[in-house]
Amino acid sequence: MIEFKEYIENLNKRLHNYIPDPATFTPGEEGVFKPLDVYNHPKKEADEYKFKAIKYAFKHHYENNSFYKKYCKENNVTPDDIKSIDDFNKIPLIPDKFFKTYPSGKEFAMWLATIYTGELPNIVIKKSDDHDDIINKFNDAGLVISYSSGTSGRHTFIPRDKRTFNDTEYAIAKAAITMVYPFWEYDSYGYLLMPNPFKTNVFAGKVCSVYFDAVKDVQVALDRELKADLIRAAMKNNLKGRIIRYAMQRENKKMIERIINWLRENYKKKNKISFLGAPFILYFVMEELERNGESFDFGENGAVITGGGWKIFEGQRIPVDEFRKKVEKILGIPPENCLDLYGMVEGNGWMVHCPEGHYLHIPSTYYHAMVIDENGEEVAYGEKGRFAFLDGLAMSYPSFIISGDEVRMYEECPVCHRTSPVLEPEVSRAKGDEMRGCAEEMRRVLSMDLGGKDA
Amino acid sequence: MLRELKDKEYIPPKNMLKLFIKGGFALSKVLIKNMGQLKKARKERIEYIPLKRNYELPEYKPGMKVVKSNEKYLRPTLYCNPYAKEIVALANHLGAFEKDPYEYARDAFEFVKRNLILQIMPLDGVVPTLKRGYGTCLHKISLFIALCRAAGLKARYKLYAIAMIQQWYETFVEIDPLMREWYDAMGYFMLHGEGEVYIDGKWIVADVGPTPERQAATGIPITKFGEDSIGIWFQAIPGSIMRVESLPLGLGMASKLLMEKISPASVAKMNNNILRQVEKGRKILQEIGEEEYNRRVRKGYKMPTIELERKSIIFE
Repeated sequence: MIEFKEYIENLNKRLHNYIPDPATFTPGEEGVFKPLDVYNHPKKEADEYKFKAIKYAFKHHYENNSFYKKYCKENNVTPDDIKSIDDFNKIPLIPDKFFKTYPSGKEFAMWLATIYTGELPNIVIKKSDDHDDIINKFNDAGLVISYSSGTSGRHTFIPRDKRTFNDTEYAIAKAAITMVYPFWEYDSYGYLLMPNPFKTNVFAGKVCSVYFDAVKDVQVALDRELKADLIRAAMKNNLKGRIIRYAMQRENKKMIERIINWLRENYKKKNKISFLGAPFILYFVMEELERNGESFDFGENGAVITGGGWKIFEGQRIPVDEFRKKVEKILGIPPENCLDLYGMVEGNGWMVHCPEGHYLHIPSTYYHAMVIDENGEEVAYGEKGRFAFLDGLAMSYPSFIISGDEVRMYEECPVCHRTSPVLEPEVSRAKGDEMRGCAEEMRRVLSMDLGGKDA
Repeated sequence: MLRELKDKEYIPPKNMLKLFIKGGFALSKVLIKNMGQLKKARKERIEYIPLKRNYELPEYKPGMKVVKSNEKYLRPTLYCNPYAKEIVALANHLGAFEKDPYEYARDAFEFVKRNLILQIMPLDGVVPTLKRGYGTCLHKISLFIALCRAAGLKARYKLYAIAMIQQWYETFVEIDPLMREWYDAMGYFMLHGEGEVYIDGKWIVADVGPTPERQAATGIPITKFGEDSIGIWFQAIPGSIMRVESLPLGLGMASKLLMEKISPASVAKMNNNILRQVEKGRKILQEIGEEEYNRRVRKGYKMPTIELERKSIIFE
């Protein structure tokens, strides 16, 4: 079996375009690129990496972002107050809802400029530009504006610079590939169960463009241009929304058929395969296979990395372990190779299941996770609360976020030996917060029940 | 005539007009597409009994002091007559001309915020609002402004569109399919506001809309005089904030049409929900006390506020 060191070195060679010149690494980048394993690094060293990364990021945003500086002043905190990891709880957290409160029209461009840390290049905005036009203009100027989850009709928009975006792409690849060790090799075949990264600004799709560099041959489930306005329209229960969903639904069966044919072909050729993306699409593929009495036995030659939520039908979630059993039964892929990944558009930390216990491991070298109660105070390990994090990687916006996700965090994984803290295998939404998750967004857009419950 | 209308800001500013046009257009589309549902909703009868007024009206006595001025922010405006006997009597009762301006304005704020219950209804003047003891946030702001102007303190409206918080969504939107569709089409709550009073060279904000009970029921801090709701528990849609002397012409008629003619049952459902919320909040405050509640809830996180920057964006 390949040594882990060599395995990660191979990955680094493959993804060299994502790695900046080490002489210019920010402390956050040091925490991502230098450790071999961001989930299993000696605690003392991991804490050193993390402290430097977050302190640096906090100082950077304090000094270069006027709205965040004002917010810090209102909270009476300055970078000088952060002297150790114990002071991290002083860093003012931004509720994730904040990134949904954007204006329309030309003010949307100003809003993006305001939440962006630092100076921007010249960007020309026309009166008639819609959200996607404005995003594309920012992106043409060298930024990567992406968005996510507008299940209540409003998206979350996050402005990343190209470097932060490359960093997060590398981080997600390293996260998944670390946890499926020793499965990954470039000479394999992948199926992305997300929108085509090159045809959308949806973060969950866009961040997966690294999949195309990490795997030789990647197919895409949703290979059409997906604009913010289309997603918003598709999610509404009005005539336009129904028409869009009807049109998409007609395509869905063809998509399932394409994936099944791809499975047949690769199984026949004994190719190594992987799936990455929304679990509900693979669920319907497996349902179709089951109806046809067909199954495969990919064994160690297959892996599934899911993400974005577990809603299969309107009002019905599939339990994660049930999904893994189905993957094993229909595709023959063992549960150790079927992992879930948890992350969000506002952050650059990726929590991934360990193969041994399927607990969500938190990267410990550049990202600090907290669980917060309703009074904004940190709760003890094992207690339930809102997931919050300080992200040392984001340089283009302050990524110090309190989310609407409800989690329980443990200091150590109850099952595996890795040194990083973990979240319980499944994350739910806190009461009162809107449903979100890129998979849920895709499910609604595609009206993807196929069984008709939600059509 | 037109000049006066403009000067008093009876003609809505451009961004308010944009909000109304967008809102009206979205509503029309929703109604046209849901004629069947609308018919059903209009036939629906929802039992709704508003709360009784919980305060006595002070008696007006001739000779009570009142400042009558034609100066901007002091004069009467639409739905806001500071010279009405009932307003003058209350202003004097609350200590106008006796207390210092800050203290008086704070007491007027406390009176309006605490005593008048939020109920969704068409716009009308400050006197019926005071006599009834309930109204929308706009009714309550008008009453606060009238009390300030009667005492010679300049006062104005601060109006804006807000991104809906979950607790409001549950109370106002989720209960009714038409409301839900309208909100989803807009993506924000069309008009909310606060009052502002000018004291010692500064405009001081007065969030009179939500009573302490409603704030407690929704788990948000009980806002004090001078404290803005924006940034504490919700965000205004940037660019939507308008500071005006008067509510605009047409808003009263539009609210009457919407609330009384189009879907009175939806309004009754919302109002019943608000009354339930008031009851829930009352229990919370009785149990732990207002001070302790406020202390606990303020330990939570706040929303940052932003002032839009142009940086190097060029608008063609």
